[in-house]
Amino acid sequence: MWSATDKIRLRQAERYLTAAKVLAWPAFLLILAALYMAFIYAPRERQMGEVQRIFYFHIGAAWNALGVCFLAVFIAGILYLWKKRRIWDHVGASFVEIGLAYTTINLTTGMFWARPVWNTWWPWGDPRVTLMLVLWLIYVAYMIFRSTMPDGEKKYKYCAVFGIIGFLDVPLVYVSIHIWRTIHPKVITSEGMALETPMIMALFTSMAAFTALTALLFCLRMAMRLQRTVVLERLYEETV
Amino acid sequence: MSILKSLWILAAKDLRIEYRSREAFQTTLFFAVLILIIFQFAFDPGSKATLEASPGILWVALLFPGMIRLNQSFQMEIEEDSLHGIVLSPVDRGAFFLGKFLANWVFLALVGLASTVAFVVFYNFAPSARLWWLLVVELMGLAGFSAVGTVLAAMVAKSSSREVLLPILIFPIVIPVIVAAVNASQEILLRDDLNTLGTWMQVLGVFDVVYLAAGFVVFEYVVGD
Repeated sequence: MWSATDKIRLRQAERYLTAAKVLAWPAFLLILAALYMAFIYAPRERQMGEVQRIFYFHIGAAWNALGVCFLAVFIAGILYLWKKRRIWDHVGASFVEIGLAYTTINLTTGMFWARPVWNTWWPWGDPRVTLMLVLWLIYVAYMIFRSTMPDGEKKYKYCAVFGIIGFLDVPLVYVSIHIWRTIHPKVITSEGMALETPMIMALFTSMAAFTALTALLFCLRMAMRLQRTVVLERLYEETV
Repeated sequence: MSILKSLWILAAKDLRIEYRSREAFQTTLFFAVLILIIFQFAFDPGSKATLEASPGILWVALLFPGMIRLNQSFQMEIEEDSLHGIVLSPVDRGAFFLGKFLANWVFLALVGLASTVAFVVFYNFAPSARLWWLLVVELMGLAGFSAVGTVLAAMVAKSSSREVLLPILIFPIVIPVIVAAVNASQEILLRDDLNTLGTWMQVLGVFDVVYLAAGFVVFEYVVGD
């Protein structure tokens, strides 16, 4: 039968699943609202045209990746090293996955926006694009590293350390690319993006929708991780 | 034992081992020189394009062989199980980190110095007083690289796939070092004035301080138990 720790884990997983069920409806409605706001409510941008509407999802994903997920990985890493509780590893790993998905969304939407507007798929001179790219590399490295380690305290410690080291890099990458850009001739300027009030409304709705989605995905991943821990330990005991 | 003393003993131990065998130094330097030459063949040898790209090539030649050294730095501790000895001895983990860092840094700086001589020859640079600045930039860039690399090398040391893991982990993190060091070297080697050299050195300095401090704090969780 289930051991006492198993029961605690399964109960925690249940709680996350309940939270996910509660969050699912508001997240769904917010996403619908964000789609409506971005595609119908927000006016057509005069110079860029329809393609500018990518912007709402692009920023929503960027904000969640950097401002929510990767910051959470950093904090969870510190908490794991401090408290040595497995739950903080689950938190960190879940947020890396979600943040990486958002970074990918941000980079791909950026590509499709930049091609018609800046006439280039990949604007290397833009510090924000390069920052997101480097973040993507860092957290893909995190995932690869994670997958090579066998489960155990060592893995959680090392992943926590890498999550901390990776996040410390964010300001350094931004500053170095920014200086680089200001020295080199400016091929691309991001000016001319003065936002109308409906656009700002659409942007905030999109950011809220993405944040709700983050919370929902987080609860689902946490429940999955807790249940998987129980199952894997059962399997291990049975084979030994 | 004070931190300074123990870090010195640990660094001296690594450097003495290296001095007596000289194995790693020769192979690392040879690899660095090979990179410098291969890039000449990859581009048009002696052309203007190669010259423009040369600061970047120099940094590839400093960092790629450097990675091999970082991988080795914990390997020798594990092979003879001396890591246990160090962990059990009354040495502060932060001092252990600084000692390992210092040994790696001095090693990479010496290889860097020798590679720079080869670089000046193969890329036809006039020996001028400016090259001293290049050495300062190299020292600063390699310090950041060694600080991050020492922590990460300790993390992957026991993994069977460490040879691929270390570059995958280290290069995304050291991108600010590469940007700052290559731009600073470009200015020293190819430009007339040194307007932005100070800015780039500041970036390198901040990177060094951040990752030395981070390594000092987190190393306790990376080795031991």
